[in-house]
Amino acid sequence: MASTYDLTAAALKPGGTGEPMIVVEHVDKFFGDFQALSDINLVVGKQEVVVVLGPSGSGKSTLIRAINRLEEHDAGRILVDGVEMSDDLRNIQEIRRECGMVFQSFNLFPHLTIMDNITLAPRQVRKWPKDKAEAEAMKQLTRVKIPEQANKFPGQLSGGQQQRVAIARSLAMQPKVMLFDEPTSALDPEMVKEVLDAMVELAGTGMTMMVVTHEMGFAKAVADRVVFMADGQIVEVGTPEHFFENPQEDRTKLFLSQIL
Amino acid sequence: MEPADLALAEPIMPEPDRPPSKKLSATEWAKENLFYNVASTLITLGFVVIFVALLKNTIRFVFVSGRWEILHVNMTNMLVGVLFPREEITRGWIALFIVAMGVAFMVGSAHQLVAQSDEELGAAVVPQGQQMRSALGRFAPMVLLVVVLLALARQARFGAAALIFGMVAVGWVARTVGMRLPRQRAGLGAAAGGLTVVGGFVFLATGVGWQQWGGLLLTVFLASSAIVLCFPLGLAAALGRRSKLPVVRAFSIIYIELIRGVPLITLLFIGSLTLNFFLPAGLVPSGVTRSVIMITLFSGAYVAEIVRGGLQAVPKGQTEAAQALGLPTLKMLRLIVLPQALRNVIPALVGQFISLFKDTSLVAIIGLRDLLLVTQGFTKQPEFQGTAAAEVLAIAAFIYWVFTFTMSRESQRLERRLGVGTR
Repeated sequence: MASTYDLTAAALKPGGTGEPMIVVEHVDKFFGDFQALSDINLVVGKQEVVVVLGPSGSGKSTLIRAINRLEEHDAGRILVDGVEMSDDLRNIQEIRRECGMVFQSFNLFPHLTIMDNITLAPRQVRKWPKDKAEAEAMKQLTRVKIPEQANKFPGQLSGGQQQRVAIARSLAMQPKVMLFDEPTSALDPEMVKEVLDAMVELAGTGMTMMVVTHEMGFAKAVADRVVFMADGQIVEVGTPEHFFENPQEDRTKLFLSQIL
Repeated sequence: MEPADLALAEPIMPEPDRPPSKKLSATEWAKENLFYNVASTLITLGFVVIFVALLKNTIRFVFVSGRWEILHVNMTNMLVGVLFPREEITRGWIALFIVAMGVAFMVGSAHQLVAQSDEELGAAVVPQGQQMRSALGRFAPMVLLVVVLLALARQARFGAAALIFGMVAVGWVARTVGMRLPRQRAGLGAAAGGLTVVGGFVFLATGVGWQQWGGLLLTVFLASSAIVLCFPLGLAAALGRRSKLPVVRAFSIIYIELIRGVPLITLLFIGSLTLNFFLPAGLVPSGVTRSVIMITLFSGAYVAEIVRGGLQAVPKGQTEAAQALGLPTLKMLRLIVLPQALRNVIPALVGQFISLFKDTSLVAIIGLRDLLLVTQGFTKQPEFQGTAAAEVLAIAAFIYWVFTFTMSRESQRLERRLGVGTR
């Protein structure tokens, strides 16, 4: 059967509204001699939800961290909402302002209250006055369903609550893109659902999201496109239906057989 | 009963068992820990003999055979030095009040700065019985020192006691006020406390020049100035060492590695003999200034390494989260990294300050009349002619011990309160 599957076309055709939000062009990344990313090409559209899957060591975390310059790419271009990532600090900070990032290990600031955690960046980076920042913080906390925790410290919250605070903290900056780096991998199974619910609600409001995860249920339910990476390369890209029911590449089939 | 009623009834939990009590009576404890076999019995008896002998000799020395007259007449000399004009003693007391207030306020604010939970932030606002008892325990050495000094002094005992009591009260209030500061104001509070300390010394200096300071006053002044100054210096050097700018990094590394390789005595000699060559002509700082500079430089290098260790212990995810939010580097350091880094290294920092306090005794080498040199000088006075050397050493050692032990206990308490090492 002749395969009509074209990786390049699938990777470069943005979903959502169709306008490109994140553009990754011929990106390489080396750690010493080890090549973590080779010739990555991907376009994420506005309001699109892209889920990145892959075995460990495939470079999916490296890719998502390269988008907001937590890793520095060695070749190629990365653009976020038209702004090109370069060595210029202003560009980097502009991109970082517009990308919210949620980490696997939450990375809340332990010496600040939840309210301070969330209002820190809007007040210091966007220069909002205290009232506006706190109002926005309460709005986001209510959205992730934990408004009563505002005056506690991160150490007093459960893992699922901390991750939801981390989501609220990123959302308070009103970013254009939300990046998730294995947000539920460090959580007890009982808490995974509450975080995934928050992410599903977020997707429903039209946020552009790029999510690295192992939660297949989330991918099937919410993703517009699924990107499969292995050994630093994008192997297959497609809709969830295409990906889970009709994968084309052998590497993809191998991966799916091991996890499903 | 209906099955439905059973289903909705609250399950009755059995009373949890109490763990079996292991309380031993005194004889049982002794039998188990001290005399459990022949060898341990012999060791215990041996230690008891040594301990009783030491105790007997100490008590005899302190209360019976010690020739404490040397301190009766020299109390003021020991506290403020031989050159301090006696008519300015009042100014000295006022300055001491100001300094005590500043230090206490700084300690209180510092506590608010590093607190990491509701309980910590609101802690000790209402002193409870247990906390007051632990406070008494911590300050017992200081109380003992005051009692000893009052016992040895021969004039104005009542006035001195009243003033000391007043100072303790002022210090307590200042610390409580400092601990009620909200987090955002705590940094300002610590700075204000530091400035108050400086102000206290400046106030004293306007009446009595530095050159006339001596004894305990000089020791405390040298130590506190060096502590206050070496901390920002060490902080700057630690950050400079991690900087991406090559010149800044080179300077910081050279400073740290050079100073750490040289003993403090050498630095004090350099300061007193050769510092003139490095300064513009005509600027001849006093001996006290030079000592403060050299001790500060010395301690700053060690503080830099301690802070650097603390910075490395802050998880990388913290800087990543701050960067991902768009925080510029300086703000990230000030708001996120340094509060966590400094909390990590409180034990090491206070240890360094304790060492610093004791190292001030080295200024005797360059002729500054600090506590140690002044007390040594007493035995050379014509009335005493070389006697009572043990007594003066004992009192000097006791005073050093009281200060360092109090600092150490306060640090332990701060660590315990903040849960350092348990989270």
